[in-house]
Amino acid sequence: MIAPGNEASAKRRPTKVNVRILRQDGPGLPAYWERHQVDYEPDMNVISVLQKVAAQAKTSDGLKVAPVAWDCGCLEEVCGSCTMVINGRVRQSCSALVDRLLEDDANEIELRPMTKFPVIRDLCIDRSRLFRSLERVKAWVPVDGYYDMGPGPRISREEQEQNYPLSQCMSCGCCLDACPQFTKIEIQRQPAETEADYTTRKNASFDDGFIGAHAISQAMLFNAHPVGKIMARERLDALTSAGGVQDCGNAQNCVAVCPKEIPLTTSIARAGRAATVYAIKKIFDR
Amino acid sequence: MSSPADPAPSQTFLQKNDFLIRRLHSLSGLIPVGAYMCVHLITNASLVGGVSVFQNNVFSIHSLPLLPVIEWSFIFLPLIFHAVAGIWIARSGKSNLQQYRWVGNRRYTWQRITGYIAFLFIFTHVFHLHGWFHNEWWLKTIAEPMGMAKFRPYNAVSSLASAMTGIAWPIFYAIGVLACTFHLANGIWTAGITWGVWLTPKSQRRASIACALFGLFIGSAGLSSLVAVKTTDAMEAAKIENAMYDARIHAHTITPDDHKRSDGHAVEKPKSELVK
Repeated sequence: MIAPGNEASAKRRPTKVNVRILRQDGPGLPAYWERHQVDYEPDMNVISVLQKVAAQAKTSDGLKVAPVAWDCGCLEEVCGSCTMVINGRVRQSCSALVDRLLEDDANEIELRPMTKFPVIRDLCIDRSRLFRSLERVKAWVPVDGYYDMGPGPRISREEQEQNYPLSQCMSCGCCLDACPQFTKIEIQRQPAETEADYTTRKNASFDDGFIGAHAISQAMLFNAHPVGKIMARERLDALTSAGGVQDCGNAQNCVAVCPKEIPLTTSIARAGRAATVYAIKKIFDR
Repeated sequence: MSSPADPAPSQTFLQKNDFLIRRLHSLSGLIPVGAYMCVHLITNASLVGGVSVFQNNVFSIHSLPLLPVIEWSFIFLPLIFHAVAGIWIARSGKSNLQQYRWVGNRRYTWQRITGYIAFLFIFTHVFHLHGWFHNEWWLKTIAEPMGMAKFRPYNAVSSLASAMTGIAWPIFYAIGVLACTFHLANGIWTAGITWGVWLTPKSQRRASIACALFGLFIGSAGLSSLVAVKTTDAMEAAKIENAMYDARIHAHTITPDDHKRSDGHAVEKPKSELVK
């Protein structure tokens, strides 16, 4: 994914890169800005900047600090774990190329943790609500066991072309971070609380919140799957319960920030149509 | 794992009925509130065609039986529901327009801003011209001393012209009408996604253009009636209205009703003390 250096910008290559990072020492603690400076190298991405920042563990004023913490995994924009807010926009840091970022603002790169998830430390956030939303809509195919079930049903080319883009979702959470209807829910673990009690309490409050574009889209993906559609009604029940598809405000930021260019707003409109039909059926099929 | 679809017993009324309330909010915005707004603004725009055209339309509307019942069940109550649910919905989100300045996000934010403007505008407008309640005590001790409840259906244009004197009220109405127009036009577009009418970006773009044209049409209808009322001679209008009133009384198409007329006209012999 890492593109070769932009030749046009080669002439005005800096020797240093300034980075402003919103840090936080732990859950619920106050956030604070910190400036770091690293040596410029051609073809850097934000991950390689962060590697240098952590290795130095020193601010641009020369103050020794604890290394900045961040998450990353695949380094090729398919795992979503390195998602953060870079120069005001939520995206993956692995595919955020420093040369491009310096074209926007040559003075500084600004890094913030995602805004809608609880911060664990610095740029690391807790995305468990995102996965809870996938549980809410049962975003899976209900097949268990290892025995041979024979060939699956044929899927038309048209259906494949509709479903494949939805299957590219990597659960990075960009769509949620940019959504004005998806607001932060942060639950702190109490000192005497067991892990199980904490999870139950956390999930209960997640379940009151908006489910989000990613889960709506996955519900549409699995409702279109020949085996997955067995649970179509349960998914629609989840999509029309509190915090369901009806909470969408149609700002359409989700589709604009999605790094996989998933047609999220089409999925939302499909879910809206399915919910309309389902609600009418529920009234008149009784 | 517990089934997330089962409503937990701890859920509040709003949580249990989240889907129903938001869909009813969407529906009530189209029918009856949005549909009524179109009829209202187009009727207003008929003043461009002259005093008699507009006065004739008002006579027709006021010949409907049980008008207060129609007003409350098809206009005021759905409007109050749409307004209250709308504020609740607007407060459930948090605009991030500063961060993401895209068209869709602007429209999201403006839908909420115009909603708040429309809320203040419509509640003031109905008080200003209609008075909210046509109860004798309310009108005489509260509304009219405050300079409200100005509209007289049987002297439609002249009473409107006297309500619109100066510059503050016309500006207030222009802002209010434009806010309502944006809110309805953009609301039709979002309702089309909410109910699943237009699915793809392509069809949503087409719908967006159609909604913009609709907004231009309704908005110009609203503004043209404002221009018309400011350029109409109230004295001349009153003469036409009173002549039309007498003719209607003579033809038995309306019953005499002083509450629907301006003060100071030649008093008919009132047959009843019917309040509207």
